[in-house]
Amino acid sequence: MKFAIMLGATLFGILLGFVPGITRSRPVWWRWIAILSVTATVVLGLYPPIAGTVTDAVMAARMDSTKVVPVLVVRQIDPSNDSSLTVVDARDPRVVIHVDASEDVAAAIDATDAPFILDLQRSGSDMRFMAQKMGPVDPLITLPYIMGLEERARIIFFHVPMSWVATIAYLLSMIFAVRYLRSRDLNHDTISMATASVGTLYAVLATVTGAVWAKFNWGSIWNWDPRETSIFLLLLVYAAYFLLRSSIEEPQRRARLSAAYSIVAFVTVPFLIFVLPRLLPGLHPGSSDDVNAGPLLSPKSDAINTTKQVVFGLSLFAFTVVFFWLVNLKVRLVGLTDRINDNEVRS
Amino acid sequence: MMDFLTVNAGYVVLACALLIWAGIAAYLWRVERRVNELEQRLSR
Repeated sequence: MKFAIMLGATLFGILLGFVPGITRSRPVWWRWIAILSVTATVVLGLYPPIAGTVTDAVMAARMDSTKVVPVLVVRQIDPSNDSSLTVVDARDPRVVIHVDASEDVAAAIDATDAPFILDLQRSGSDMRFMAQKMGPVDPLITLPYIMGLEERARIIFFHVPMSWVATIAYLLSMIFAVRYLRSRDLNHDTISMATASVGTLYAVLATVTGAVWAKFNWGSIWNWDPRETSIFLLLLVYAAYFLLRSSIEEPQRRARLSAAYSIVAFVTVPFLIFVLPRLLPGLHPGSSDDVNAGPLLSPKSDAINTTKQVVFGLSLFAFTVVFFWLVNLKVRLVGLTDRINDNEVRS
Repeated sequence: MMDFLTVNAGYVVLACALLIWAGIAAYLWRVERRVNELEQRLSR
């Protein structure tokens, strides 16, 4: 199901990108879809509170006894003992725990019958917790708690789609390079260049967002992790592509050599993106020493949370559509520059 | 002020992200309109 959502969202984004033609003006409805899908991604990626289960709180306490975990719970009224504060895991009603809380928090818990988020710290046993703070009451949607990532897990909705779309961009650049070599139509060369340049912008943004995140999660902005090294090499490969283009004046010769280079450059993409980072031990999910396949592909409950998959699918779609909008503008601006230059030459 | 920003950090991040995206979206919309105008002018 999760693969269907991700694949479907990406393919739908690509299909919409080619409507009404990659070089044609974007209709108003198309632009609104792009704007609203990114807005929805930002809101759904950053607004929903993170809430785990009691099991998450127990597991986190085994790693670090002082760990505080937000858990979605429901107050349980115990008729046998009115003074006891017991709550039930909202996702697994079989799990009932006892909670010690300050007077303020206890009063707030007593005042609500709806599910709410409670910041819990294990205290003594797996059945007894200290409530540090009461979070949102009756949240519409929540995102899963991932041990070790917590709030930082939200990067998945921005950093990962940018990397995916950069890969798609380099694939499209190669496809249009092949089409140019077959047809010698300079429009195909322009599209190949535009997809590569917007793809490189996405790769740079993925690198920057990853570096900022790494500073807070891994302690430094750059760790020469295999995936960081591979994206650095990929950026160098495509920087050479733009250097090559800028060094040749004659359009057909520039297009021919750039197309050949784009095809060769793309050969490195699957190796640098999918193979190398999985062969070597590293910090990124999916490295050879990672026991899971990564937070997104992991069979664990945190990865198959429907909300997360839907928001991730939406972000893939949104970033793909915006990519096509940027490519479209780039292609049309190059076309306009060429037409203005032609007019100047004629006059 | 610092307390407000600390307690509502999530909402502050959301507001900043939406503000940045609103700026980018407005810029893209404007460039799209300008390019359309230029294309129509050159087609005449």
